Amino acid sequence: MGLTGFLKAAGLAVVLATSVAAPVVAQEVLRLRLNGDINTMDPISTTNFTIRNAAYLMYDTLFALDSNYEPQPQMAEGYELSEDGLTYTITLRDGLMFHNGDPVTASDVVASLERWGKVDGLGKTLFSKMESMSAADEKTITIRMSEAWGQVIPALGKISSNVPVIMTAEQAANDPSEPVAAPIGSGPYKLVPEEWVPGSVAVFEKFEDYAPRSEPADMAAGGKVAHFDRVELVYIPDTATAIDALIGGEIDWIEEVPADMLPFFEGVDTAKPIAARQSGNSMQLVVNHLNPPFDNEKVRHALQWALEQEPFLLAAYGDATDRYLECAAVFFCDTPYASDANTERVLTRDVEKAKALLDEAGYDGTPVVLMHVTDIPAHDAYYSVLKPMLEEAGFVVEEQISDWATVATRRASKEPVSEGGWNLFFTGWGFVDQSNPMTNVYVSGDGENAWFGWAHSEELQDLRKQFADEADPEVRKQLAERMQVLTHDLVSYVPMGQAFPSQGIATNLEGFIESPVPFFWEVRRAD
Amino acid sequence: MLRYVLGRLLAAIPIICLVAVFIFSLVHLTPGDPAVLLAGDNANPEQVNKIRERLHLDKPLVVQFGIWAGNALTLDLGDSIYSNQPVTRLIAQRIEPTLVLAAVTLLLTVAIAVPLGVIAAWRANGWLDRGIMAFAVLGFSVPVFVIGYLLVYIFAVKLRWFPVQGYKPLEDGVLATLHSVTLPSVALAMIFAALIARVTRASMLEALSENFTRTARAKGLGTLRILVVHALKHSGVPVVTVIGIGFATLVGGVVVTESVFNIPGIGRLTVDAITRRDYPLVQGSILFFSALLILINLIVDLSYALFDPRVRG
Repeated sequence: MGLTGFLKAAGLAVVLATSVAAPVVAQEVLRLRLNGDINTMDPISTTNFTIRNAAYLMYDTLFALDSNYEPQPQMAEGYELSEDGLTYTITLRDGLMFHNGDPVTASDVVASLERWGKVDGLGKTLFSKMESMSAADEKTITIRMSEAWGQVIPALGKISSNVPVIMTAEQAANDPSEPVAAPIGSGPYKLVPEEWVPGSVAVFEKFEDYAPRSEPADMAAGGKVAHFDRVELVYIPDTATAIDALIGGEIDWIEEVPADMLPFFEGVDTAKPIAARQSGNSMQLVVNHLNPPFDNEKVRHALQWALEQEPFLLAAYGDATDRYLECAAVFFCDTPYASDANTERVLTRDVEKAKALLDEAGYDGTPVVLMHVTDIPAHDAYYSVLKPMLEEAGFVVEEQISDWATVATRRASKEPVSEGGWNLFFTGWGFVDQSNPMTNVYVSGDGENAWFGWAHSEELQDLRKQFADEADPEVRKQLAERMQVLTHDLVSYVPMGQAFPSQGIATNLEGFIESPVPFFWEVRRAD
Repeated sequence: MLRYVLGRLLAAIPIICLVAVFIFSLVHLTPGDPAVLLAGDNANPEQVNKIRERLHLDKPLVVQFGIWAGNALTLDLGDSIYSNQPVTRLIAQRIEPTLVLAAVTLLLTVAIAVPLGVIAAWRANGWLDRGIMAFAVLGFSVPVFVIGYLLVYIFAVKLRWFPVQGYKPLEDGVLATLHSVTLPSVALAMIFAALIARVTRASMLEALSENFTRTARAKGLGTLRILVVHALKHSGVPVVTVIGIGFATLVGGVVVTESVFNIPGIGRLTVDAITRRDYPLVQGSILFFSALLILINLIVDLSYALFDPRVRG
């Protein structure tokens, strides 16, 4: 064979080799791409939302929130409250079983709640007001409070991290900071440990012995009916790849589609973006009250006047205007405690007022250090807008390029900036955590014991206590509004608007539950 | 020869030790606390401190290094901070995809680049040569992720010939595996092939101007025989050297390619470990890469003997 013949044969071989194709989707499997990876299946050892979302597949809870955000019995058959309002008697429903075949008993529930109560903020409050909790028999849990508190059942039905999931008493004996290695739950799907590859895939199988409630599914409450034999949580780090995989039918759902990738779905019939209104989140600029210049209230007010939300939202979401709204409500807009009280400084930009306040405060040009995070696109965009806005208002800004891991560590430092401390950082919180005055981190007023930023206000602390003890919804609303007024005066953070990220979903799925936490019971493949 | 191989292997030990010290220092000097990342956003300082204690991150660096190095001597690279699983197990889980991807890429590269380089030299300065060299410059200049996304868009999203992402292990069948790594291998091979095609062309040009080639031609041998048996064999040493050096490029390329195509290989394992400050895993995987590179260099050196009889002596 001459060289020309050899080249022809080689060309033919290449064409043949590359024209092989094979179908890839199996019908009984639900493949999901959460925002992060699964490194543990113990949602008590971490507050990570990806772990929380995955945990709902394999664990069950005593109570659960319905779509009106009211707690309903889930593993519990029901409960009784004594006349003095101090003793709760909770009964477990029939047929509850762990994935190892053991029945779920009241002792398992007590041990699980005790472990949760050691780490979770609301859990700690509950246990601080509790005299005792015990298993009266196999199916009855008795909780005796030292004072009447209307938040006992809502706390046990808490929907976000840390979720009070029920595990075996043996596993619940682990220290909460030690993740349980091979966890056993009692939820509708069970983990397949031997197929779990951290950083790649976590596999769950339908738990055939799970007995769902008879009521229809209603957010976290109601019957959790599993319609798939297998659920795979596939970790795809690259979002563009994940969207292509969704469109190509290789996966069924993506937790978040960035606004600039929505056009990927145009003209596509296999998948669509859905505006997850319930999963709204917000960005916040957190302010460190311990370091100059923001240890001065006037400088903090100057910061509020220096900023407005629209440029940030445009930078992050572009022209997808239906995916965000300007909102300065501390407990989120479109929620029971939404309010526009004391929001003028937050929503309006007035550079002259900012400059005047800086003069009044005697601002000496102390640089504001920005830890500009570049590995999260939304954060990167926000920092790029923040620097010129601050400079225009008269702040001296020093920018340090960083990644999220560094900021997540450095934000815990209470030291001066020169010794590893900080001034400002952006972070995001979900609707479900921040819409509740009991779990919103910015309204605690707890000073050095508060969340990062360490804003201090005795009045806020007192208001939160009053809120926890108050049963009247109208009074609670007034208390929440007063909390907002104080928070914006104190400037524990500057709200940066509310966004409704899109999820991506295969068009052949139906029954997907709209909720601030994604749930995967009820969802099924359409015929 | 055996003595030579053993000598080279022994010489690798101090290099690996140096790499170990360097990597340990580097990862621990990088700001960022894995305990904070593990605890999540809602965690309080008490939760974070408990995790730090559990992972011995509260101990002095020297003590941490001592614990790690002592264990590493017994091939125990510790447990991943992030997933709690042994580092050796995590690396072992990821070796197959990376090695399959690298091997297929290497084969594809040699299959594309060497003939292209030979043809370019054969038709030096003609339109075929210029066309091939233009392809080479293009291949080398376009970032691997751009080629990756283009291939995915055309061959996976539009034509549906290949999967967008993921890896099918060899136990699912060799064809399924090859099907899953075709696009990433082609993406990687584009860059690598460009480099090797250029080197092959250059050394072939030199060989084609040598006296032995003229003699072969005078003897009336066919073009294919002159090019492959005489000239290409003579050009083997520089080409193999570049393949060896290029392996480092390939390893760098694997990191990006594995992310774009979601292949659970060691490249992605390393990048994920770095962003999570998973110290033992970063150390373990970089040690693995270092050992692999030393091994590749050794194989390249040994292969010289195949092409150049003087080395055998």
